[in-house]
Amino acid sequence: MIRFENVDKWFGPLQVLADVSGEVGRGEVKVLVGPSGSGKSTLIRTVTRLEKIQGGRVLIDGADIAGRGLDINRLRQRVGFVFQAYNLFPHLSALGNITLGLTKLRGLSKTAARERAMEELARVGLAEKANEMPGLLSGGQKQRVAIARSLAMDPEVMLFDEPTSALDPEMVGEVLAAMKRLAAGGMTMICVTHEIGFAREVADEIWFMEAGRVVERGRPAELADSDACPRLAGFLRRSVRN
Amino acid sequence: MLEILQNNWLLFLVGQYPHGPIGGLVMTLFMALISLALCFPFAIGLALARLSPYRWLRLPATAIVHTVRGLPLVMFIFWAYFVSPLIIGRAVGGVETLVIALVVYEAAYLSEIIRAGIEGLPKGQTEAATSLGLRYWPTTLKVVLPQALHNMLPSMVSQFVSTIKETSLGYVISAHELTFAAAQVNNVLLTQPFEVYGILALTYFALCFALTSLARLIERRISAGRGGTPGITIAA
Repeated sequence: MIRFENVDKWFGPLQVLADVSGEVGRGEVKVLVGPSGSGKSTLIRTVTRLEKIQGGRVLIDGADIAGRGLDINRLRQRVGFVFQAYNLFPHLSALGNITLGLTKLRGLSKTAARERAMEELARVGLAEKANEMPGLLSGGQKQRVAIARSLAMDPEVMLFDEPTSALDPEMVGEVLAAMKRLAAGGMTMICVTHEIGFAREVADEIWFMEAGRVVERGRPAELADSDACPRLAGFLRRSVRN
Repeated sequence: MLEILQNNWLLFLVGQYPHGPIGGLVMTLFMALISLALCFPFAIGLALARLSPYRWLRLPATAIVHTVRGLPLVMFIFWAYFVSPLIIGRAVGGVETLVIALVVYEAAYLSEIIRAGIEGLPKGQTEAATSLGLRYWPTTLKVVLPQALHNMLPSMVSQFVSTIKETSLGYVISAHELTFAAAQVNNVLLTQPFEVYGILALTYFALCFALTSLARLIERRISAGRGGTPGITIAA
């Protein structure tokens, strides 16, 4: 469903993605791990052209996302994106955050949009916070609203960019639970995360990135196996020690 | 001073109205308000153009803003005074002339305030809107501008304060506003310019100080509403 073909990206003289290739099939969950600055976030940001690439191609269902005649905004509606910093719209209520896309892009009436948004809020357990402004929600609640906002657009793929990294430890669980439910429901997902437990539980495959390259790939079962994935195993040992 | 005020307060307040054109403090406030309201769409247009990725939009807008900001207001008043009758084809009154000059002048300043407000928003806001699939205009109208304008409210009140003070330059083209009223009073009394202009100064000060305090209050409200992040104020 998503294919990276020899993707290169530079920030000025710094190469942040180097010859990255890989494929994410429909219904698969890929988890990207690696040290900070290794290009994980940049890689998923290329999927909806939040970052432009200088070499290679990114394809969704066989269509080049940089191709002429491709409506990038239409494509972005099919790909949900969840940010580390939530990026809720602070001037709109939780409900308003979700209905904006529905009314502006899906052409839903206000009532229909409200109904749809309430459905998604209920799914992440926040129906009673519908009229709350984001400033009054906890980090975990904000991130769940952000997930609901993406899901309301009925995306075919969900991209998560370190969704729990900005959260206090006691709130990580509620967000991961929402993501696990999503994975269990068959959503295609690419997650950048440091939550190894989550990766172990839901990932079909883990990609370990270092210095802009995917240096190892493996099934979660192979995670701890230092023969199959020596660098990943080393990284995990180091992160556990820290 | 009190006696002067007692005898002339109506002139200070509304000019010669109802026996002549309305003027005084009321006209000063009206001109400042209407100028700011009229320049608002231009200011937003200039700010968006200056932030545009397209050079053909960005460069002219930048040139306009820099040019206007590099010239004294009184030049625009003179230009408006001599040029607008040629364009419109009939005599233009002092008030209209001053409003025309103020709209041009304030649009440049206000556009910089709005631009700062837009640039001060976290990048994640447009990224989130873009990721939903929203195009430029819905993103700008529904996500960017409401937040930018809200954050910039204190700066806009400050700009309103400057505009109030700038209307006093209308005196040079005999626009009937507060300073003009004071000059009329002074012309009648002849011997007490210090007191008359003292009243004028106090009136401007009371008005502007009250508005500046209001701006501070709004600023505190906004930063409280946003979880303590301080709002941005640009001194006018």
